Parts: sequence; C-alpha cells; structure tokens
Amino acid sequence: MKDSVSIEAGLGSAVSVTFEGINLSFGKTHVLKGIDLHINAGEFFAFLGPSGCGKTTLLRLLAGFETAQTGKVIIGDQEMSYLPPWQRNLGMVFQSYALWPHMTIRKNVAFGLEERRVPRDQIKERTNRALELVGLLDLADRRPSQLSGGQQQRVALARTIVVEPQVLLLDEPLSNLDAKLRIQMRHELLDLQRKLSITTIFVTHDQEEANTMADRIALMKDGIIQQVGSPIELYDQPVNRFVADFLGTANFLEGQIKKSGEEWMFLSDNDLAIPVTNSDDHLQSTHCSLVFRPQNIEVASDGVKLKNKAIHFTGTIRSKEFLGSTIRYRVAIRGKEIFADVPHQQGTSLMKDGQEVFLGIDRGHIQVVYD
Amino acid sequence: MAISTWGDEAVSELRKHPGTAALMLLISLFLLLFLVIPVVQVVFAAFLDNATGGFTLLNFKDFFNTALFRESFWNSIYVGLMAVVFASLFSMPLAYFTSRFEFRGAVIIQSLGIIPLIMPPFVGAVAMQMLFGRNGSINLLLDQWFGFTIPFMEGLNGVIFVQSIHYFPFILINLSAALQNIDRSMEESAQNLGCSGLRLFRRIVLPLAMPGYVAGASLVFLKVFDDLGTPLLLNVNNMLAPQAYLRIASIGIKDPMGYVISVILVVIALGSMWLAMLSLKGKDYATVQKGGGGLAKRKMRPWEKFFAWLIVLLIMGLVLAPHIGLSLLSFGTIWSYSVFPDAFTVKHFATIFAETPEYMSNTVLYSALAATIDVIIGTAIAYIVLRTKLIGRQWLDYVAMSAVAIPGLVIGIGYLRTFHGYQVPWLENQSLATWWLAIVVALAIRRLPYALRACTASLQQVSVSLEESAENLGAGKFSTVRKIVVPLMAGGILAGFVTSFATAAVELGMTLMLVSKNSDGPLSYGIYVYMQSAAGRGPGAALGMIAVIVVGLCTLVSYIFVDRRQKKLGMGQAN
Repeated sequence: MKDSVSIEAGLGSAVSVTFEGINLSFGKTHVLKGIDLHINAGEFFAFLGPSGCGKTTLLRLLAGFETAQTGKVIIGDQEMSYLPPWQRNLGMVFQSYALWPHMTIRKNVAFGLEERRVPRDQIKERTNRALELVGLLDLADRRPSQLSGGQQQRVALARTIVVEPQVLLLDEPLSNLDAKLRIQMRHELLDLQRKLSITTIFVTHDQEEANTMADRIALMKDGIIQQVGSPIELYDQPVNRFVADFLGTANFLEGQIKKSGEEWMFLSDNDLAIPVTNSDDHLQSTHCSLVFRPQNIEVASDGVKLKNKAIHFTGTIRSKEFLGSTIRYRVAIRGKEIFADVPHQQGTSLMKDGQEVFLGIDRGHIQVVYD
Repeated sequence: MAISTWGDEAVSELRKHPGTAALMLLISLFLLLFLVIPVVQVVFAAFLDNATGGFTLLNFKDFFNTALFRESFWNSIYVGLMAVVFASLFSMPLAYFTSRFEFRGAVIIQSLGIIPLIMPPFVGAVAMQMLFGRNGSINLLLDQWFGFTIPFMEGLNGVIFVQSIHYFPFILINLSAALQNIDRSMEESAQNLGCSGLRLFRRIVLPLAMPGYVAGASLVFLKVFDDLGTPLLLNVNNMLAPQAYLRIASIGIKDPMGYVISVILVVIALGSMWLAMLSLKGKDYATVQKGGGGLAKRKMRPWEKFFAWLIVLLIMGLVLAPHIGLSLLSFGTIWSYSVFPDAFTVKHFATIFAETPEYMSNTVLYSALAATIDVIIGTAIAYIVLRTKLIGRQWLDYVAMSAVAIPGLVIGIGYLRTFHGYQVPWLENQSLATWWLAIVVALAIRRLPYALRACTASLQQVSVSLEESAENLGAGKFSTVRKIVVPLMAGGILAGFVTSFATAAVELGMTLMLVSKNSDGPLSYGIYVYMQSAAGRGPGAALGMIAVIVVGLCTLVSYIFVDRRQKKLGMGQAN
C-alpha cells in the first residue's frame, strides 16, 4: 500500500464502542451471556476465542445483522441497538470478502458511495483514491473472480474504507490467506489502521494474530468474555485457567490452598507444597490450579545452581522437543508432567531422557487461578 | 437461562421483514385460492354423496365395481410400469457407454437426452402412428421385405412405445449424473481389496448409482401415469386419465367418477414419489472428491465399439422418429398406406397462420404471463425460505412444490368445480373457471415448482455475506434485493422462466378441461382439435412443429445464457 495518499476517514474523529448487558439466543442456544464491554476510540481491538465462543456473533450484532434480546449497543454516544445495518455506517470486511461477482472491482468499491447518493465525480475520485491506497487501481476494471485471494482481500478493504465508516469491523480477515501473505497483510492492516486512526475490531481464533495486532483483546468462551486486556496482561496475569491455557503453553498443578499459621500454601494433588501470596480465607480448600509458564522454569542437573529461585522441585526428564530457539523438556514431577523450556545455544549439551533434574521457579512467576 | 420465547422471535422476525411478511401473506392467499381449494374441492367431491350431501365411500365402491374403471386402473398401472421398463432399456446402455468408456458417441448420447424433452409425447403421437402403426411406414416395409409386421402401436403398446421414447431422458440424465458422481477411489479401493469386473459393478457401482436410477424411474412412472394427451390422441380410452376427462366432458361436472379418478391419480402420484423418497432416504451418494471424479474409463475394443454404435444409432432413430414423423406429416400432402407422403407442401403452415393464428398468439400470451407469475412468486418464496425465519415459510415451499404431484387434469377439474358458478363481472356469460385468465393462473400454478426450484437453487448459490456486505455499506433491504440478489439470481430466474414458458406452452391435460371456446385455445389445444380428423392432421402437425421450435429455441437460449453467465462470473466453483 502506498503512503503518499491518505483517506480522511475518521481522522481525529474516532469513536468508542460500548456493549451493555447483551444477551442473545438463537432459539434455545444462549450464544451471548451478559456481555459488557467498552472499546476505546481509535483502538485496534480483537475478539479472540475458540470456535463457537460467540465472537463472530458479537461482531455481527454490532454490525446490525443480529438482534440481542436484552442490552444496548452504543457507538460514540449514540445508541444503535435497533438500527438496521444500513443505517449504522460501520464498515465490515467479511471473512469470505463477499465481493459481488457480477460487478467490476470499481463498481464494487463505488457501491457504498452510490448508496449514499454521493455526486458522480466524487464517487470516481474517492473510488480511485481507495483503490490506489490498496494498490489495485490498475485492476479496477477486472471482476473479482480474476483476482488472487490477497487482492480480493484488498478490494474488500477498499470497498469498506471508501465510505469512511465510524468503526472498521474485520471478521477473521486473514484466515483465507496463505501463511506468508498473512504476515504481510497483518502489517498492512496495522499500518492502515494507524494511518486512518479508525476504531477497529477484528475477530480471530488465532492468538498470534491477536497478540501481534491488537491493542487490547477480549478473550471469549461459551458466550462470556473471560478477560479483557492487552496481550501481555492476558498472557502474564490470566484471571482463570481457560485464559492461561488458551494463550501460549502453560503448566498446571491442580490442588487447593491452605493457610498454615500466617503463611499460605498451595497443596497440589500430587503432594507438593508451594508457598503462595496471601489469599482470602473463604478461598481456603476450594479447588484451584497453580499456573506457570515453561520458559519461567530453570532446569539444572545440579541443585546448587538454583539457589536464587524460591521454589524447587525435582523431576525426571521424559522426553524433549527441539523447537529451534528453545528445547522443551517434558519433566515428570511426582507423576505429574510439565513442560520446561531451556534456551538453546549452539554447542550446549542436552539433558538425557530419564535423567534426574532440579527445577527452580521465581515466586513472581507462579499464579493461582480458579476454573 | 432461556431469555426469549418462540413468540418473541416470531415478533422480531416480523419487525425485521414487514414487507416480506406482507408478500408472504399475499402468496399464501394466491396458493390457497388457486391450488389448495380447487384440489380440496376435488377430493371433497369424490367423497360426497350426491343425494344426501354427506360423506360416503360409495363413489369409490362404484368405481371398483365398474369393469371399465377396473380395467382402466390396471391399464394405467401397466402402462406406467412398462414405460419404466422400456425407458430403462433405452437409458441403461447409453449411461453405461458414457460413464465407463472413452466413447466418441458421448456427444450424441448427451443430445439424445435433450431432444425428446422438447416435444411432449402427445404432439408426436399421431406422427408415430403414421410411422409405426399397423399401416405405417415401418410395418409396410417389414411386410414388403420380410412378410411380417410388429404391433408397435396396437392399443396400450402405442402409449407405452411413445411415452418411453419421450420420457427415458429422465432416467438417462439422473443415472448418468449418479454414475458421474461416483469417485474413482470407490472403485479403486474395491479393486485394491480384490474385487473386479462384473462383481465390482454389482457390489459397488450399481448400489451407488441406484438412487439416481430410482429418482428417474419414479419420475417416468409419474409422468406416464398422469398423461392425458397421449392416450387421447392415440384413441386409447381405457386408461384412468382419459376416463376422467371423458366423464367430465360427456356427463358433466356433477358426475362423481371424474373426481374419484382424480383422487386416485393424485394418491398414486404421491405414493410413487413417496416410495422414491423412501428408497433414497439417507443415500446422498455424491462421493466425488476435489480433483477426482468419475469412474475409470477405458477404450472400447473394436467389436464393443461396433455394438455400441449400433445401439446408439438405433435409439437415435427411435428418438428422432416423432420429430421426423411430425415433419413429414406437416409438410406432406396425403400420407396413407405409403412409406412416405405423396408430395410435399407448405399449405398446412399457411392454413394455421391464416385460419387459427390465435392458437399461437394465445400460447405466447398465456405462457409468458404464467412464466412471469412463476418467477416472481418463485423468487419471492425462495427469498422467504432462505433469507427469513418467518413462521410457516417451509409450508409455503411445500404447498407450492406439491403442484408437482397434481396432474394438470386434476387442477383443471378442480377449477371447474370451484369457480364454475362465478361469473366474470364485466363479461357476459363468461364463467370464471373457463376465462382465459383462469387458464393463465392454472398454468402458473402447475409450472410453479419448476420455476421455484430454479430460483431456490440460484439463490442458494448466492452467499448471504454478499447481501450483508451491501447492507453494511448502506443499502436497504429493497435496494439489496434489486442490486445484488436479483442480478446474481438472473441466470436461475431466466432458466425458471424459460422452463415454465416452454412447458406451459405444451400443457394439454389442463387446457383441455378449461378451454371453453376455440378462440381461447393455446397451441396444445389446437393440436388436439386438428388431430381429431384425418384432414386436420397436416395443420395439427404444423402446429406441433411450431411448438417444438418454440420449446427447442427456449431451451437453447436458456442453456447458452446460463452457461455463459456462470462462466463470466466464475461462480461455477466458487461459493
């Protein structure tokens, strides 16, 4: 995409989006359960979650294609809950791109402007500018079927931003592209969003996509938003086991916390006792998990090296995987298997399967989560 | 936690599509008035005791106690089944050649699958009599050279012969499609497990192709069983449909036997469709994978090639016979007790254009109007069923499709029963039932299933997101339908229009019932009227030629248009 041209869309006039108490059912299936969410003006925001979690439904609700049984959708300071899609001025890029096969690229892009009764000369000018922005001006008279997947995606994008929508909605925008193109489009989308400074919401099931592009993420499961925050917040401070498990690789030890004197201890089901930060009395004895990430574990064949770590285990190496920059060991601790990542440097010797090892971890790297 | 109830959802659907809901109501009323009520009236009349006005089974008892009716009943069943047998004999080798071998005749076989469909059997019936009848060309030649004749056209034989030649494409097309849908891997994995040759064919290929065959065969049975025109023109009256027609035409619409026969026709039609559906249940055998396709084909050995060509040419001769016969009849002067007509002339065409041009103009008017009604209603129902959640939408589809199982004759009888007592207000002495617009409506109802299926299929190809993206960009419902949905459906809508038009143009069973004066008659009626007398055969055949040309051209135009459009939009594989 070219930098020299800019579309004035939304510049300095980005709007916020708010969902209040949204409940939505399809027949007997309760798809969205009490969604409350505020998305800041100009934010690049991701709805992330496994398939069937309701993320696409939430996006379609915002676009006006679904109607909630209860709750409000507020864009800027205007309530939009009952406006039909064509009165909302939200630009949506569909997963399938949804380019009309009976129209040329130019006609596709001009459609929204024609519907808005924009004067003819302006339509031509703005269409050209949008096509130039996505670098497809010279293909304007082709039909969608003559374009590659990546080009179709750009047309879909141009068709959406040409009408200067208040909010840009992207439904799994990169899922139909091959791996290489996907990474390229990621950067292009991000550049475009920054250039237009338009509030952008995208739906994805790919955590890497969400992590690399989004300012903030709403991680969803079963129609409920589990956690909202920046990618790093979600990764480092997961509020529950699902969040910890969904993002990256995590080790879990199941058990419960108990107070002994003034100290709080986590007692795992396989009889490990691990000191944890203080907690509420009423959480005593409820079932919970201890979470820690493989890269935060230090592995050594000699316990002396781990003196600086607050928590120690001993275990047996079961197997290893070579991941390039790291080596992932599968280690059994009292029958429970966990992963431990050791940075790989050329020439370092590997630990052998069956070898007894010492594991150490910082107190700040463990966290108690509930289901 | 359940937040919404069914009622809430219904209300919210209404709020979402108020215009569409109103349209749905209108269409429902139309179907109720012109399809449901007439058919119900027929059924009602069949169980009505004329003396007391109460419910009775007496009419059915009378029916089965009358020798003529019993004979007609079994004759109709016999003719239907035999037509299926002969149609299968024609189509099986043809389907086998194209799917199993690299065969150059495949193109001919494909056209053989279309040619009979552009001429309804009754049009060619008299011409077939001239070629294959007791004193027809073929038997004259056989008698002259070999001293024997073959009773192709004697009594029921004639009906079976003509019908199976006309309707075998239904089996051929379905069976070929089923065979082509069998993936090569099905066959190869059987071979891999040690199965080959005829055993492979019997255990793998045949069962996989069976659903296609059954679908085609049940359609053939249905068409033959319901047909009125062919037996009437061949002067075979001891079958069900002709009996119903003759009772109503000679005794009048008060006679219960016409209704009883109608009910039997409908029940058997529904029964055969139901049986076909039952045997197809859970057997969607389309197994072709991406990139795969079709059974393994091999080259024919020389002697195989010889026999294949022999069979193909023989069937081609039979398929073309009605067309050749009709041409000879329409251009011939006198054709009697001779292999060919004595001389050739164009005076029959001059006659029909000079004396009865209204047959042609009526046909164009009626069929065009009926087809227009069909595509409008078809598009609307397709949209309602596929794009809204309005309550009862499925029923709308079922009711509209049910017209497929109602013979034209029965719809005609139903209209007479229902609307005969009403007068067209501004016309003197014009019953509503036999008014020309009633014929148009009846044609539209009868051909609606074709248009509806075409419209539904084409709307199914249009991805919903294409509409949503238009709405997202500011287009309202109406604007979206006009600019996105209809243009993308254009191919299907046109195909639906042409099919409705072409089949309405040659509908006979219903028009025979509803046309009250010659000036209101369409082509099919004209052909029937002319063919009644030996002198009228020439002009009748000339009208038949016009019908064939009209239907043929329509088929060609729609084929070219749809094909080109699919290619242009690149929609063949996408969506």
